[in-house]
Amino acid sequence: MSGENAINFEHYGEPEHHVYALICPKCGKRFYPSVLICDVCHTRRNPFASAGNAPPEWEKEILEGPCTLLSWTRVFALPEGFTVKSLDFCIVEFPNKLRASGRLEAENPEIGMPLIAHVEIVNEKVNMDHYGFIFSRENYN
Amino acid sequence: MIPDELEKKNRPPELDLCAYPSKSIILASEERMVVRQCERKEVGALLEAVFPLIQVKTHYYDLVAARMAAELLGWYHYRIANLFALAGVIDGEIAGLVTSRLVDEKLGMSLHTIAIRRGLRVGAHLFAAKMEHHFDFLKQEEVWVIVESPVGLKRLMIEYALLDRAAEYPAIRHESGGVPTHVLTRENYEAARERMVAGARPLDAALAESAAILRPPAAYPQIPGYTRI
Amino acid sequence: MRKVCVVGIGHTVFGNLHHLDLVDLMGHASLNALEDAGVLAERREIVDQVFVANMGAGRVNIQSAIASALVSRIGLESCMAEAVENGPASGASAVKLGVMAIKSGMADAVLVTGGEMMNAVTRWISTDFVASMLHHEAEYAYGMTLPSLAALFTRLYMQRYGVTERDLALIAVKSHENAAKNPYAHLKTPCTLEAICESDGADHANPIIADPLRLYGICPVSDGAASLLLCAEDSPKMRHFTKPPVTISGIASATDTHCVHLRADPLILDAVRLAAERAYTMAGLTPRDISFAELHDAFVILELAIAEEAGFFERGTAHLALRRDETRVNGRLPINTSGGLKAKGHPLGATGVSQIYELVKQLRGQAEPERRVRDPKHGMAVNFGGFGNNVVVTICSR
Repeated sequence: MSGENAINFEHYGEPEHHVYALICPKCGKRFYPSVLICDVCHTRRNPFASAGNAPPEWEKEILEGPCTLLSWTRVFALPEGFTVKSLDFCIVEFPNKLRASGRLEAENPEIGMPLIAHVEIVNEKVNMDHYGFIFSRENYN
Repeated sequence: MIPDELEKKNRPPELDLCAYPSKSIILASEERMVVRQCERKEVGALLEAVFPLIQVKTHYYDLVAARMAAELLGWYHYRIANLFALAGVIDGEIAGLVTSRLVDEKLGMSLHTIAIRRGLRVGAHLFAAKMEHHFDFLKQEEVWVIVESPVGLKRLMIEYALLDRAAEYPAIRHESGGVPTHVLTRENYEAARERMVAGARPLDAALAESAAILRPPAAYPQIPGYTRI
Repeated sequence: MRKVCVVGIGHTVFGNLHHLDLVDLMGHASLNALEDAGVLAERREIVDQVFVANMGAGRVNIQSAIASALVSRIGLESCMAEAVENGPASGASAVKLGVMAIKSGMADAVLVTGGEMMNAVTRWISTDFVASMLHHEAEYAYGMTLPSLAALFTRLYMQRYGVTERDLALIAVKSHENAAKNPYAHLKTPCTLEAICESDGADHANPIIADPLRLYGICPVSDGAASLLLCAEDSPKMRHFTKPPVTISGIASATDTHCVHLRADPLILDAVRLAAERAYTMAGLTPRDISFAELHDAFVILELAIAEEAGFFERGTAHLALRRDETRVNGRLPINTSGGLKAKGHPLGATGVSQIYELVKQLRGQAEPERRVRDPKHGMAVNFGGFGNNVVVTICSR
């Protein structure tokens, strides 16, 4: 099939999992997590624009790679659904000054240390796996 | 008393158990809780401490208290083999109790834990002391565990990484009720020991003296208005 | 603008009350407030509006439309009634709406009742339920909880301002000491600095829950209810009330980013500062005028951070005042004389109402003698929703 009404079969491929920053199309400010209006130039984002085949108005930029540890904790009282003894969480800052929270997997963490952000499954649920940030010292696969 | 022949046949053969060395634990209230092994002659005081809780339906106190009372009576009357009971004692008053027994040299059968004082981690300390006795002093390989309260079970599964042996039911089933069983292995105990097992030894003479005579609690947070008659 | 007074106060004990019914609990506190005001029998004629503060009834207790249930349970039909949900700040939000209803002229007398029954479910489920107020994609999905955010905040705060574990333990000791004298408190057992911080056994008596926060640095999961009867000072209904009125001289709220990591400086609690500034302006007061405060210490570090944002101390110095005993009952600025959330307990929807209950009790001179503030004129309550993203500040005056 070809032509304007061609069905887009890309949705049936193996999905790639990333966390994205959104870039305001007017002033270029980056946001993570997403917002519906730019706090600098007040440009709106249409939440319906990325549905179906419509091109998103706001460009997406993969948010991964080097970052710096701002604070961390090891939590022993986890909520329902997490059966491990403890998990480590942290806040990091990327070179573009965006910050993010997520899972920390690094021995002997220290505030200010360099980390690498990867995206992996962080919450396993049947048909509802959540992919998110894991911050570690090294790249791993 | 020398048991007659029939009575003798009724009594189980017993292993020679080493004694649990007493220790003291500082609670958040700064009270010192002595954890020490109980003797058979103290069963009366232990029963006095446990019996009022049979009327408390919440948190399975009724079931655990009834079972513990039966275990203590079984121990007293020589109808349970290799049982040991540890008491948590604050200023001479029983703050909590644990019971357990050895199936053989390698396998322990954790029976019950009761915390009478609340909010000071008494139950957590006493369960840890029970496991300490099984693994560190009695040198056992694994201990089978059941917990009546699902919340308590989940907590132990997380804190001690208990193994779920429910799939091996009925080959593996706990003596208390024959329910599916969880297992604490030596490896998992050793991984949890530093975080879970508290206390200092040796016990100083004054503390040992304060816990020498067990006194049942005067009040129970589980039973508002309780007065011991 | 009409002045709004608190003319009746009611409270239940806080604790693990899961064997009781949530609506009964809230009803009991409500009737206590009406009785305190001396209008139990006349309640239908007095109360124009009921606001019910609650966060989890719909999910935890499977009880929706709780305001209608409460009104009917205590025989208050046919007053107006609505429920208010604003996370852990629901209580003070409901009081704020009560004040707005009276000032607008839509009501003369408003009953505000907050209540929560968290122990109806396991700790894991209640932890998950409370965590659901975090940003779903960027925080909650990872398993992060309120204690997680508080721990991230605490580590940074300790590093920047030199706050020590001992300081955090001092707050817990002070709160437990006050709670032990409060008949409604959840945790009445005192703790000592030696036992939870300085002894060899401290790691076991006070284990780490969310590093660097320990067990005694975090509030318990509590059930309970509290209630206030508010009335316009110019209303003819005022003649019915038997207790000296306490004025709500200032009440305001402010919001901040949903995600903590989005804040330019994660240690700055803008919503606390702004809500406090707005409340001071409304009351015509300054931080120096405040005689005592109830601050939202769900995590002990917040007692320090909120006190600084509210203007009581320079940033990064509240722990020095703590060390000098300035925030004890007999100190220059007593904080959390009730035991605070840390030891009195934190039944989410009830907390903001309970804080104002404490202000009124102290301003009336009715607090238990051992924890009574000397001659207070103005008290402040800070009720903190989310991790500082929706904060309500109330000032009560004698």
